[in-house]
Amino acid sequence: MLLMKLRKSQGRYRRVGTSFVAIKPSKSDYVFNFLVDLFLLVLLVIIAVPLWSTITLSFRPNDYIGNNLQGMFLAPWEWSSAAYKALLGNQGFILAFKNSFLILVGGVASALVLTIPLAYVLSIPTLPGRKYLNLLIIVPYVFNVGMIPSYLLVTNLGLIDHLAAIFLPGAISTYNCLIMRSFFEGLPNELKESARIDGASEIQVLLRIILPLSKAIIMTIGLFYGVSFWNDFFHAMLYLNSNLLQPLPILLRNILMASGMNEYVEVSAFGDAPIAAIKAASVFMSAIPMIAAYPFIQKYFTKGTLLGSVKG
Amino acid sequence: MKKHCTRSMLVAVVLLASLALFAQGAKEPAGPTTIELWYGAAVTEAGPPPSDWVGFEIIREKLGIELKLTALPSNESDQDVKVQAAAAANNLPDLFMVRRDVLGRLVPQGLIAPVDDLYAKMPVRTANHYDAVSKSHARIGGKTYGLADPGSIMKNEGLLIRKDWLDNLGLEIPKTTDELLTVMRAFSFNDPDGNGRNDTWGYGAFQEINNYEAWPGRRLEPLFGAFGVDGTWSLEETGAGLNLLKPEFYDAMLFLKQIADEGIIDPNWLSYKKDDFRAAWKQGRFGIMREQNAAFAAQSNYAPFDKNFPQGNWVIIDPPKGPQGKASIGPYTANFRIYAISAKAAKEGKTDKIAALLEWMASEEGYYLLGWGVEGVNYTKDANGIPVAANLPNADLAFSAPGGQTVTQLRNMVFYNGDIELYARYPKYTTEVSKKEMSALAVLREMQTKAWTAQIGSDTLPIPNADLKRFYEQGLSEFITGKRSLTPAAWSKWLDEFKRLGGQDWNDKGVAFARENNLLTN
Repeated sequence: MLLMKLRKSQGRYRRVGTSFVAIKPSKSDYVFNFLVDLFLLVLLVIIAVPLWSTITLSFRPNDYIGNNLQGMFLAPWEWSSAAYKALLGNQGFILAFKNSFLILVGGVASALVLTIPLAYVLSIPTLPGRKYLNLLIIVPYVFNVGMIPSYLLVTNLGLIDHLAAIFLPGAISTYNCLIMRSFFEGLPNELKESARIDGASEIQVLLRIILPLSKAIIMTIGLFYGVSFWNDFFHAMLYLNSNLLQPLPILLRNILMASGMNEYVEVSAFGDAPIAAIKAASVFMSAIPMIAAYPFIQKYFTKGTLLGSVKG
Repeated sequence: MKKHCTRSMLVAVVLLASLALFAQGAKEPAGPTTIELWYGAAVTEAGPPPSDWVGFEIIREKLGIELKLTALPSNESDQDVKVQAAAAANNLPDLFMVRRDVLGRLVPQGLIAPVDDLYAKMPVRTANHYDAVSKSHARIGGKTYGLADPGSIMKNEGLLIRKDWLDNLGLEIPKTTDELLTVMRAFSFNDPDGNGRNDTWGYGAFQEINNYEAWPGRRLEPLFGAFGVDGTWSLEETGAGLNLLKPEFYDAMLFLKQIADEGIIDPNWLSYKKDDFRAAWKQGRFGIMREQNAAFAAQSNYAPFDKNFPQGNWVIIDPPKGPQGKASIGPYTANFRIYAISAKAAKEGKTDKIAALLEWMASEEGYYLLGWGVEGVNYTKDANGIPVAANLPNADLAFSAPGGQTVTQLRNMVFYNGDIELYARYPKYTTEVSKKEMSALAVLREMQTKAWTAQIGSDTLPIPNADLKRFYEQGLSEFITGKRSLTPAAWSKWLDEFKRLGGQDWNDKGVAFARENNLLTN
């Protein structure tokens, strides 16, 4: 029903000869559009309120004491950048940020380098044993091996205390690989055929024909990988023993757990900045790279996911 | 050519054979022994000791140990996951901090080495850190499998009341539960701060629950203590078991419900988190609370209250006496940080080195270095020999400043709540606005004089499964919030259901465990 209405409302113009004539939207179009707008507005509020709350909290001064916290939330009249100064002046935070960045870059690069060829190979209909290969990657995806075997594998590979331990074991995500495979399958076969007729090898077909047409899916899958590597706490906690390698999520967790840090001693790792502001600032700062990346990738995002999901 | 090859091969065989011969008699290289230590950091988010930390050099040169440090995650369940994953891969570090129940799971797998022999090898440390209670804390099947170091200070909380509000209203410090109710009503409805608004409450709390302080938790223990049912368990020989099953618990629930119904407890107590609670008393929302000594009186913690209410004055009071004359701030237990030695390390012959390391940490050199850093850089000593953060060339590196945190990350391995630590940790100071002289140590000492319920070892008793725990907590809170009516019949019915769901079994197992481990008192 909704889809039918959607189709109707999209026909704002109709063709008359060589020109287009606007169609007056019906009452149901207005109602439908209103409901969609309302839904999006609610969604915006759900997302924006906690974000705004975090931002105002991160700028709250140490000596702010007031009963009217709601007022402070809506229109903060007292600002302090102490929390940000403390974080940016903290060597541990900078180091964690750097580690996270290395994991992000290394992770996305290795994941794409490994996922693209696999997805491409699996998309070739004439590949011998294609069904079994598909089964080979889908079965472990459905029946996850669990933490201990993964830990043993990483240990035996000598990856404990290497940043690669965070991204290498999960460099090929089956889910992402299947989306990409579907995208490749959707590309016109004639393009590949003509390249092959011109003497191109499969690698050349992939590099010269397929990849230039796959910007949307690569950006989308890259974003999926990037977000998961950037936020990965669990693997870092398990596999990284050296504190010099700890990425941002680990530090963030430690900061968020430090609510009682002034409880027993007269010290904190972040000087005089209020702990609540430190927590909020660290949450906000760790989200900035992903928030910043989204607008640039957004235009590919919808296209990439939709294209990849049409066929499967 | 053939002859040349044969000769060469012969020489090679002889050389290889001689190498093997030499190898048999060769000693291990005389380099330092690597000890991998997973420690509980003092301030995890501050980062580890730097690679050029002087401690590494001293430990290498004096003890022949190459110390490799890893800070465990700050969250206990994360710690458990990390330790257990390493255990599953037989990849435990040589020495590591571990919680008691995880230790209990690792020992039967043969992954942990007993430490009974180590005490004699560490006379100084044993004298300061390990008493009979500590040794029995990690005893499993007759052997001790962990070095249980003193944890946080015992009896470090107290019941506090706004004396300035009492004075404003012409009231006395309450001594009984009835008097407490009177004061709470006055604090809630008689404008004790004189601001003309009805914005204060008698009591403030939040739900702070742990193994031995079940719902409603630590902050309300003084109220339940008045009925003799503070804490999850009663460890008295007569009547040992879950307090919940005692008739007095129902009386305590009625008392708490009366407080909630009359609106004389800050209504946010069910939703407050620790930070909210602490922000609330600094905002003057309530006049009676149970609080920790440093969270109340340490300089940075008290400063916002001092600024907001220069005339404000919290005093420590005795817990109120209930109808039977009982009173208690709450249960206390001796808590420990357990350090265990992996069986792998013992097999590799590292036990003596570990003992030497721990004993050095307890020596004067190790104690001050790990506790406060380098003298003249991170601290100086005052006339009484107490480390202070004064007269330092770079104040940012003081042990109490952010820059000094990394070099004292191992301080929890050397601190045993001795006088030097307490004086250094809680120095006297004058508040900025009201110019009051404050000392979190004086507050601590006074709190420790009040009535408490000894429940040593109650934190090691069995815990309920998640469903039963949820039933327990949700049921009790529903009685207080009015979702369930608190009548003898409804209470009895709910208790029957609780027992049926495993509560009776939990009670019986707890009593059996307490009896088995000599935790019951007369």
